[in-house]
Amino acid sequence: MTQLKPREIKALSYTRPTLEQGYANQTLSIDLSGAAISIKPVSEIMKEVFVGGKGFDLWLLWNAVTTETKWNDPENAICIASGPMGGTPGYPGSGKSIVTTISPTTGSVMDSNVGGYFGPYLKFSGFDALEVTGQGADDTVIFIDGVGQEIKLLQIPGLPEDSYALSQVLTDFFAEGKKQNISVVSTGPGAKHSLIGCLNFTWYDVKRKRARYKQAGRGGIGTVFAHKRLRAIVARWDSVTMDTNNPADKEALTTVSKAYSKEIRDLDPKQNEMARVGTTHLVPIMNDFDLLPTHNFRYGQHPGANNIGRDVYQHLFDPGFDGCWRGCTVACSHGVKDFVPMTGPYKGQTVFVDGPEYETIAGCGSNIGVFDPFTILEMNFYCDAYGLDTISVGTGIAFVMECFELGLITASHTGGMDLSFGNRLKALELVHQMAAGEGFGAVVGQGIRRMKEVFEKEYGADAALLQDIGMESKGLEFSEYMTKESLAQQGGYGIALKGPQHDEAWLIFLDMVHNYMPTFEQKAEALHWFPMFRTWFGLCGLCKLPWNDIVPEDNKETPEPAKVMKHIHWYADYFNAVTGRKVTPDDLVQMSEAVYNFQRIFNLRMGYGRREHDTLPYRAMGPVTVEEYESRRERYDKQLTEKYGVDIADKEAPEKVAILRGFREQQYEELKDAVYERRGWNKDGIPTADTVKRLGIDFPEVLEVLKANGAS
Amino acid sequence: MISVDGRQVPWHEGMTVGTLLADIQDAHLYAVVRLNGKLVSRPNFQTTPIPDNAEVILLPMIAGG
Repeated sequence: MTQLKPREIKALSYTRPTLEQGYANQTLSIDLSGAAISIKPVSEIMKEVFVGGKGFDLWLLWNAVTTETKWNDPENAICIASGPMGGTPGYPGSGKSIVTTISPTTGSVMDSNVGGYFGPYLKFSGFDALEVTGQGADDTVIFIDGVGQEIKLLQIPGLPEDSYALSQVLTDFFAEGKKQNISVVSTGPGAKHSLIGCLNFTWYDVKRKRARYKQAGRGGIGTVFAHKRLRAIVARWDSVTMDTNNPADKEALTTVSKAYSKEIRDLDPKQNEMARVGTTHLVPIMNDFDLLPTHNFRYGQHPGANNIGRDVYQHLFDPGFDGCWRGCTVACSHGVKDFVPMTGPYKGQTVFVDGPEYETIAGCGSNIGVFDPFTILEMNFYCDAYGLDTISVGTGIAFVMECFELGLITASHTGGMDLSFGNRLKALELVHQMAAGEGFGAVVGQGIRRMKEVFEKEYGADAALLQDIGMESKGLEFSEYMTKESLAQQGGYGIALKGPQHDEAWLIFLDMVHNYMPTFEQKAEALHWFPMFRTWFGLCGLCKLPWNDIVPEDNKETPEPAKVMKHIHWYADYFNAVTGRKVTPDDLVQMSEAVYNFQRIFNLRMGYGRREHDTLPYRAMGPVTVEEYESRRERYDKQLTEKYGVDIADKEAPEKVAILRGFREQQYEELKDAVYERRGWNKDGIPTADTVKRLGIDFPEVLEVLKANGAS
Repeated sequence: MISVDGRQVPWHEGMTVGTLLADIQDAHLYAVVRLNGKLVSRPNFQTTPIPDNAEVILLPMIAGG
């Protein structure tokens, strides 16, 4: 690497404020079009209503865009924030950032949460949130130097194209001898050439002496980043202690942090062993319960699943501490060292792979019929390096593979590639093509919603079948869980604000395996409470995993074990200790409810956010094809006869498929009714005026949106 | 004897995960156990034998995601 010679475009010196009870009380705004840097105050009403994190992001984004804004308009903002508790070093899972923007695949608000050091370093540098608008005249690096108290916009010629090398180079360049003081946000060429680009957020691994990264993957945020001609955002900060957030009650903070940290340390080895195997334990479990998506969500089980789960990756992961934030005892960000790719620009070289996690294994493995752990590692490595979302890549390739096998597309469309399920080399070739914006990969990189249009209009494929098997909703590709037998999870995906991502509601086990919510009302209650509480983590700069992936030993004896109330009480104590605001567990849900409803109304403002947008492809609800029905015939026949009272004696499979579909589509609509009512929304899925008033978000601009949509 | 969450439980010939859980209160809460380091899920409880001297850990609900 030659010596980097940055050219300064703009610089702003500032006086770093002392943090007050978890807040810097100001945000940083950068307009790349005018190379303008400004600092804005955070109002008390922002803290009271939006709390921080995603709440701050949404408020900044709302004020940046108009109803007409598209993802590639200069006024579209990328907003990044931590939260009041973000950066606490002793409390597990306290290093998250939330990123929001108007998405290129959904056209509406996208949010994605991510580990790494950036969010805390941004805040400690003096900013609760960052908003970046405009488009640079040239490639730009933003440097937020909390130590030197200076913001710089830089042009740095000669930087590597891919995010893997770029992260290391920028860490080295800005570190001034302390690499753990640096966090880099970047993407790669895949983000430039597709609509499913991700962002990589680094954390420095002192033991392995390298920058590692986590991904804000969903909805093409990396694509917006690349379109703005942002090469990277770098934050620099120094030491972090329990005092850095200047908490309201340090003694209480220390007490609750120690208790939680100890519980995780004691119980994780007895439970899911996330500090050792990450989320790979989910692969065999999902497979056993018929929930692991295989072959584009047709089936939930495959004999090859044992090759790509915990039992294999526990031996491939490099042992050691893998916390993406300092002091996190969950420490689940595992990786594989000394991996040698067999394809692409790193072919034959030794690289470090950050991952894989469950979603990548299922998306780039079982769902495309690949049961080879090393191909999954290579897909994982290149998606990250290229800045591509492994979930959208996996689900997108699964879709084209099914289309290929069904004859909806042929080799004449794919550039001669045989895209049958399991063709791992062609799957990798597609990833390289997506990154280059070439060949059929350039089509796949547009995401499933646009592929459906191309396949129908240009290739003459059956539109109805494409709709049934194209696993996207709202324009976002499904994450990797089978929902056919869990109505609650169908709602968890279909009614989710940004599209089918599981971070909002993961009810599949509680519903299908534990049968905790047999009635519509119980499912609706779960689809109220769980999304609201999960939203709260994103307001505060926290990771959800410590809450319920490790549970107290006496949890099963509590009235509502699914909520893990002991931990929720600790979270309330944690919030009180940092912010000084006195809250109860119930208050946490109400805080989230305000932001959640605001985001729903934001969708409405952008032309979405109605009942018609909460739709699912039928593959998410039940068997599309006779082949799928026959593969689980006993289950489906039993439901038709016992649950719906249908006499199936003289019925052939196609008729049974159709009858079952009618029932299942109807029950999904009934679920929507129940959920909307529970959430205080009208029949069209719009929050009522009473609801926004109760939640304290009855700002004039919010009421105006409701009025414009006939819902005031 | 086998160990179940650190407690000693008598082992018997023909013991499976299913028969073990049948004798445990609130067994319906456990959809997965770890048997000598390997995960076993409920669909396989009845057919998975437990050898003598085994270590069984009952995993609480899987929260996932």
